[in-house]
Amino acid sequence: MFSSVSSGTLFGMSVYPVQVEADMSDGMPMFELVGYLAGEVKEARERVRTALRNSGYRLPPKRITVNLSPADRRKKGTSFDLPIAVALLKAMEALPDHCTDGMMITGELSLSGHVKGVRGVLAMVMEAKRNGFRRCIVPMQNVREGSVVQGIEVYGVCSLAQTAALLKGNEFPVIQEIPEEEPENEGKDVRYDFADIRGQKVLKRALEIAVSGNHNILLIGPPGAGKSMAAGCLPGILPCLTKEERMEVTKIYSIAGMLSGTGLVTARPFISPHHSVSAQALAGNGASPGLVSLAHRGVLFLDELPEFNRAALEIMRQPLEEKEIRISRVNGNYVYPADFMLAAAMNPCKCGYYPDLSRCRCSDTQIGAYLSRISRPLLDRIDICVEASRIRMKELKSQKREETSEKVQQRVEAVRNLQRERLKESNIFCNGAMGQKDIARYCILGKSEERLMESAYDRLGLTVRAYHKILRVSRTIADMDGEERIREKHLCEAIGYREIAGIF
Amino acid sequence: MEENTYYNRRNSKDEIRYVGRWESEYPKRLLTISNPPAGIYVKGRLPEEDRLTVGMVGARMCSEYGRSAAREFAGALASAGVQIISGMAKGIDGISQREAIAAGGSTFGVLGCGLDVIYPVQNREIFEKICERGGLISEFSPDTPPIARNFPIRNRIISGLSDILLVIEAGEKSGTGITVTRALEQGKDIYALPGRIYDSLSAGCNRLICQGAGIALSPSEFMKNLEVRYEKLLEKSKINGKFDENKHCVLRTGRNKKNINMLEKKEKVVYSGLDLYPKDLENIALETGMNISEILEILIKLELKGYIREEGKNHYIRF
Repeated sequence: MFSSVSSGTLFGMSVYPVQVEADMSDGMPMFELVGYLAGEVKEARERVRTALRNSGYRLPPKRITVNLSPADRRKKGTSFDLPIAVALLKAMEALPDHCTDGMMITGELSLSGHVKGVRGVLAMVMEAKRNGFRRCIVPMQNVREGSVVQGIEVYGVCSLAQTAALLKGNEFPVIQEIPEEEPENEGKDVRYDFADIRGQKVLKRALEIAVSGNHNILLIGPPGAGKSMAAGCLPGILPCLTKEERMEVTKIYSIAGMLSGTGLVTARPFISPHHSVSAQALAGNGASPGLVSLAHRGVLFLDELPEFNRAALEIMRQPLEEKEIRISRVNGNYVYPADFMLAAAMNPCKCGYYPDLSRCRCSDTQIGAYLSRISRPLLDRIDICVEASRIRMKELKSQKREETSEKVQQRVEAVRNLQRERLKESNIFCNGAMGQKDIARYCILGKSEERLMESAYDRLGLTVRAYHKILRVSRTIADMDGEERIREKHLCEAIGYREIAGIF
Repeated sequence: MEENTYYNRRNSKDEIRYVGRWESEYPKRLLTISNPPAGIYVKGRLPEEDRLTVGMVGARMCSEYGRSAAREFAGALASAGVQIISGMAKGIDGISQREAIAAGGSTFGVLGCGLDVIYPVQNREIFEKICERGGLISEFSPDTPPIARNFPIRNRIISGLSDILLVIEAGEKSGTGITVTRALEQGKDIYALPGRIYDSLSAGCNRLICQGAGIALSPSEFMKNLEVRYEKLLEKSKINGKFDENKHCVLRTGRNKKNINMLEKKEKVVYSGLDLYPKDLENIALETGMNISEILEILIKLELKGYIREEGKNHYIRF
């Protein structure tokens, strides 16, 4: 007898529907799986056979064929175990014929018949809803992420036997409402608090500006200045994710298999890879999103920037410009979102002490070689460049209470709201994302400000790109001051954060 | 020969000529040193025998202090008609020679490579201009690449061609030290620019002063010392007569002092906290007690007015 069950498979960020067809007919007893399957899908045969037996069902000695359709697209992952088992049960007539209508099923089976979690359940449920399905059966482990989607019933199951019972009864229990509001910023990776850092006013100010306007930032300074520690404070001052953003981020983490039984991700991601990271790990591949996508709507922090592999750094050009990354592989082209704030830290030279000439041991050729490891196009995408200096004893010993991250975060939140409101029409939500047109529209200068920028342009030898960067950053600084007009002091401060020709 | 990016720009070979030790054009000053080159390649002129020559040497990685001192001394000396000898290297050498050319004086570069090789490329414009009033000298044949071991060798020619050696900035152990040793062997006068005892770049100079070198306090002071010893040579040098002590020998850092009254009060506070050594933003904030945005506004305005300069990211110096 023939039967069919709907399921889906991941393809980059999207899910495409797969029909699991099973047929049992007379002939030589065998169990065949077809449909352009990857190794782990072929192995489902053994898992399904054993799981069925251990759940009290014995496969009849018939010629069994399972096909995953469309048969010309590559199927990967372990999420077909449960739909295959259900399709077989239907073909064996152990389950009624129409019990899976309007239903999408996904899940991995263990030999004992238990259902295990799989990747990409959120994306799968979203796709199911889009395609008009009414119900989804997902592993219990993933039920919280699946339930995030409104307007579709999502059932979590623990075992094959439970699934069969559910389908046989055809009476679906009413789903318990999962409280929609997750606690804010749960699971925030807060390594340090601003209150832990003595002094470093410059760094703190620059980081606050960067976060407020979502500007990319580069911290330069001698070893031990506290660059990494300051960057470690970033998660603590990042604004909360908005509802849509949570959805986006959760989808990515679901596909990467990095949700550990939780529902929506509520804290902004903070990704800080080691400098040995490969270009592929940053970019991602057909099977899972890379680090640039995991940092979506959050921060990608690259410590010791010049030590990174050149190819890995160049990977980031496109995502920094287009806010997404396109990857082309044999099996197709994938697009992952990658809208992150780049934070990077580096020493000014190999020994780390330039321009302190009494300590720096590098020749200027060496300094040039060290700095040239970072390409111009990457630097062009960094709005704020700031020096971290060695902390002084006086500050180290000071008993002065430093401001906490929480306070800073509240300010950041307010400034972000301001920007979102203003930039609504341009379809962006922060100053860092302003293009040339938006700058012309939102960064209007008065007469004296105009004059200041003119003299800065000539005297400091600014480029057009640097000019725009300064305007963007000054917009954020003005917003932080609560001023609608950009004043001279805002421009001056922004000029102070430009990257200078002497260094690069 | 393999091309190297550091010197792949080339001068033309056309005007290079060879001057042997037996020829009358060969500099007399070189004849008296212990191992004079058998002959030298020359482009442009050779230093005049009856005009005073001063060798200006110093670190390649120099501080702003060394940079501005080199400019002041080179400018004043060149305007006084003194011929400046140096090694065309990055840092003090190049700065001195550039300034000498700008002041309309004559300066001579002694190279450690062939005369058709431009090294370092940063000084290309000096290579282009130097032959108008001065010249390039090397004992190495054209096409010789800039090999490290050749540079200390040419140092004896720098000191040999100079009547006086003026050391602007030098570490305790440096290439400049080699030139000084050669100059001492050749019996030349040494002057050094004093510096702070904590600065490693001034350590070599201070050591020389400790050992009895002359102290180059200011261009005018230096010129006065020269007048005592080199009256004749200096007299000859002055023939162009355009030298004006008041104009050329006043320290330029003094010039800025007048201008400070033009600044606003807060600008003055920030400005007076700066000097010729780079000071970082954090430190300035700590000393003045102002907040970062306020200080940056003042600093950028001072920079735009030309009072200070950013040296390294967020490090500021007087200009």
